[in-house]
Amino acid sequence: MFNNYVLIAWRQILKNKLYAAINIAGLVVGLAVYIFGSLLVNYERSHDMFYDNSGRIFTAGSVFSASANIGVSETVGIYTAIAPFVISDIEEVEQVARTVHREFLISIEDDHYYEKIKFTDPALLKIFNLDYIEGDESALENPLGILLTQSVATKFFGETAALGRTLTLDHDVTLSVTAVVRDLPANTHFSSTILGGGGFKVVAPLAALNRASDYDLAGNFNNLSGGDFTYMLLPATRSREWLQAQMDGVYESHFPEDTREFITGFKVRPLVEANTILWDAIGMPVLDSVRVLALLVLVVAIVNYTNLATAQSLGRAREVGLRKTMGASRGQLLIQFLVESLCITTISMLIALAVLETAVPLFNSFVDRALTIDYLVTLPWLFLTTIAVGLIAGAYPAYLITRASPIEAIREGGTRGAKGNFFRSMMLGLQFSISIFMLAMVMIVYFQNEKIEDAANIYPKSQIISLQRLEIESIQARLPTLRNELKNLAAVEQVAYSSQLPYLQNNSSFGAGRVNGDKSGAFNLTEIFIDEHFIDTYNIPILLGRNLTTAIGNDTVVKGVLDANVIVNEMALSKLGFNSPGEALNQVFYDFPDEREPRTYKIVGVTHDQNFMGFHNSIKPTVFLMMPENLNYASIRVRGADLAQTLTEVEQVWNEIIPDYPMQSEFLDETFADVFAIYGAMTQVLGGFAFVALMLSLIGLFGLAAFMAESRTREIGIRKVMGASINQIVRMLIWRFSQPVMWALLIALPGAYFASSAYLNFFADRLQAPVGIVLGAGVMSVVLAWVIVALHAVKIASANPIQALRYE
Amino acid sequence: MLKLHDLSKIYRTDEVETVALDTVNIEIEAGEFVAIMGPSGCGKSTLLNIIGMLDSPTSGAYLFLDEDVSGYSESQLSNIRKHNIGFIFQSFNLIDELTVAENIELALLYHNIPASERKSRVATIMDKVGIAHRAKHMPSQLSGGQQQRVAVARAVVGNQGLILADEPTGNLDSAHGQEVMEMLQGLNDEGTTIVMVTHSPAHSDYARRTINLFDGHVVTENLRATG
Ligand SMILES: Nc1ncnc2c1ncn2[C@@H]1O[C@H](COP(=O)(O)OP(=O)(O)O)[C@@H](O)[C@H]1O
Ligand SMILES: [Mg+2]
Repeated sequence: MFNNYVLIAWRQILKNKLYAAINIAGLVVGLAVYIFGSLLVNYERSHDMFYDNSGRIFTAGSVFSASANIGVSETVGIYTAIAPFVISDIEEVEQVARTVHREFLISIEDDHYYEKIKFTDPALLKIFNLDYIEGDESALENPLGILLTQSVATKFFGETAALGRTLTLDHDVTLSVTAVVRDLPANTHFSSTILGGGGFKVVAPLAALNRASDYDLAGNFNNLSGGDFTYMLLPATRSREWLQAQMDGVYESHFPEDTREFITGFKVRPLVEANTILWDAIGMPVLDSVRVLALLVLVVAIVNYTNLATAQSLGRAREVGLRKTMGASRGQLLIQFLVESLCITTISMLIALAVLETAVPLFNSFVDRALTIDYLVTLPWLFLTTIAVGLIAGAYPAYLITRASPIEAIREGGTRGAKGNFFRSMMLGLQFSISIFMLAMVMIVYFQNEKIEDAANIYPKSQIISLQRLEIESIQARLPTLRNELKNLAAVEQVAYSSQLPYLQNNSSFGAGRVNGDKSGAFNLTEIFIDEHFIDTYNIPILLGRNLTTAIGNDTVVKGVLDANVIVNEMALSKLGFNSPGEALNQVFYDFPDEREPRTYKIVGVTHDQNFMGFHNSIKPTVFLMMPENLNYASIRVRGADLAQTLTEVEQVWNEIIPDYPMQSEFLDETFADVFAIYGAMTQVLGGFAFVALMLSLIGLFGLAAFMAESRTREIGIRKVMGASINQIVRMLIWRFSQPVMWALLIALPGAYFASSAYLNFFADRLQAPVGIVLGAGVMSVVLAWVIVALHAVKIASANPIQALRYE
Repeated sequence: MLKLHDLSKIYRTDEVETVALDTVNIEIEAGEFVAIMGPSGCGKSTLLNIIGMLDSPTSGAYLFLDEDVSGYSESQLSNIRKHNIGFIFQSFNLIDELTVAENIELALLYHNIPASERKSRVATIMDKVGIAHRAKHMPSQLSGGQQQRVAVARAVVGNQGLILADEPTGNLDSAHGQEVMEMLQGLNDEGTTIVMVTHSPAHSDYARRTINLFDGHVVTENLRATG
């Protein structure tokens, strides 16, 4: 019997391939988004479950008072000085371990690496069981021991055994490897990039930090760094509430009085929550929102299905009548229709899973996650979801069609049907406003990105290799030699040192004004320290005057020099009150420092206003001066196409001159791409949402158009008999179906306009025509909607009216 | 007014072939009142639909006002239809969402007639068929007889010379059926040509001529003595 139902359902699907395909497409989107959302949230909420002690490990965080006003309500850790009190006051806590992360230069003979090191109490290894390849959990009891993960050990020492090998921190403290462990999986809070904490790659005892930088082992009440935790291992008999009460006691008796106004208490959390504390702390239910949104998408998909299936079922009134005359009971008919929607849902679910099987690995590689669909665990849930969606989606059409006379049910229930229509139109209007909004935003973001990319090309970024981290004193001393040697390379055109690279943020500025000592007339002047080659290297045009040069004494500013020659941009000129570059040349302005005599700055050159620092900064009044102390970056302009080869040559030169530090290089293209990445990601995320929203609303529109068309075939037949042409009927239907779309436009366009203005406000150099783009998105959506409606309208308008009028 | 010559209509569905009309020859003069009778399924509605240009014959010629319309496109047919032919159906076929007046106006809507003239013509015709007091009502608020009067009004409001009525009294009780027949009679007296399908011998008596169909053939044509 059941087989029979499935067979009939399958025939129905084959018979109406287009409808079935659209139904399936909609449900695939709904199910895929819903399952993905649930997977993601579950993944984030089920970190750290694999440690033997997972259920007994707790963390304590600090709760900020509302008056602290720092944007978050709590932080993941407590002051490092608390742990000793926990040990002394709470006897039953079995182990306590603090973590503190710092970056160090690690040297293994002539190889150097900048690495983030997690410093901790030795007990950390008693709390968390790791998979030891070499060494064991006593590794950190040696104050000069260090634990590496396998991948880091391989990077440092190759495939040979690492145990007992040594490395030095900052050319100073020598540690020896006491353990190598397998890399931690992605689903532990140690791997979180959001939390910070430096990952879990290189782990050393706090005692080593004490040697390397005089860190006070007793801890302090000064530092709360993101990602630094205090972990506690409890006996199995003790609960979170118990520990909370104990920690409240510790706070009462030991927390410094003068800090209590800032931090009002500790918050104990089980380890499983460690990964998501930040979401709670920012006070936005991000993960719950993801879950709700995903469910909402599914609901919309179900409503769309219901609309389309109802429309389709109207055309099957005769089939039902026939079956009834043949003796089918209403129950059997209900089952028939529900089986059909279950079949559609099952097919959709299978396709959705196939989609996820390819999408999830992509997502994982994109955002460093390790989501998997574990069918063993999720199968019952997937199964139930399929059944539930199938039943819910099929219920209304099944109910409707199995009533005495479905056509009548639609027609006679005039008021109820009207309400239903209103609800359908509302839903559709809402979906459309969301998708028009999203589409407009995607287009705004896209075009703004294009503009940024264009603007970024004022600098020869594809020709520049930058070297970073030059601030170390011993490197600074070798910069002139480095420059000379680099200039000898055939591919190198120019080498310049500066305090700043294009595209990077910079907050270095000072108060400047025309009148010496008159602080009230001062404005903020952004300073960029350069050398005499910088202006050339970046092709920055000098509007008037000259470049700075070491040949002229006052061009170089060092301590004690109170007369400095500088270059300023036009904006600085007008801030200073000059009307033209000519008027400003050789004029002076002053700064107003507290700790020394004011300095006199003479303008010897003027440049155009260029957006030197990223893009959400407006162009600022800027001064370029030669101050040889703050040159943290080198910019090497190279010619030729083989950048990789050039980079290798540059590195060889570096290693000859500065063998004791690793070269940190980046193509300026990459620097730009990094800064720009967030905007690129934004386009992609928005694009994804827009696709889903638009797809669902088009399917919704298709369903609604089909529904209205089917339920109006008789009316259309009558109008045709009265002499209406196909054209007139198509126009009438389009106009009628367009109404929800028009409402959507009314809602979405102003919304998109305001949102895009707010977004564009982040940028100094912004799109000039957001209105046009927003309208364009609206027009695109409306045209798409019309195409869909017109397809239906032409179909039913061309049908012979007598078919519609015959069977009544 | 119209002339059917050796006209046939064959419906082909999958493997079944139904001959709905078989070499029918009929001529109808302007001003005639013709009744078409015959058992169910003999092709009456098919004949009416072809006369009304809602359907096209499989073979044979159809002359309407001395024009052979066999090869005409749909829009040409639609144009002839809307100016010359009014329809009345057994099930009234009024649009439920429109008022009585709007339903009647529908027949003028596609004629390029200014709104004010449409309104006045609708008002005139409503007076004539006696439903003016129902102008603002919805069809569902009317009795069957009243609905059919609206349908009649709609069929003639465009000054159509030919009215095709497919069992106009089929859904009505005898009193209301009588009313509708008298209205048709009145229209015929004013010169409107009427072709009506009916099962009721009493109603076919209003016609001057009765065509009997059987299995797609014209079997007899009876002329009623004028009196
Ligand atoms: N669209 C159609 N497709 C197939 N057969 C049809 C169609 N319309 C009518 N027929 C068949 O043509 C014959 C005549 O139908 P019809 O003109 O409606 O008869 P009547 O109005 O006299 O009852 C019937 O056998 C009917 O089944
Ligand atoms: Mg019939």
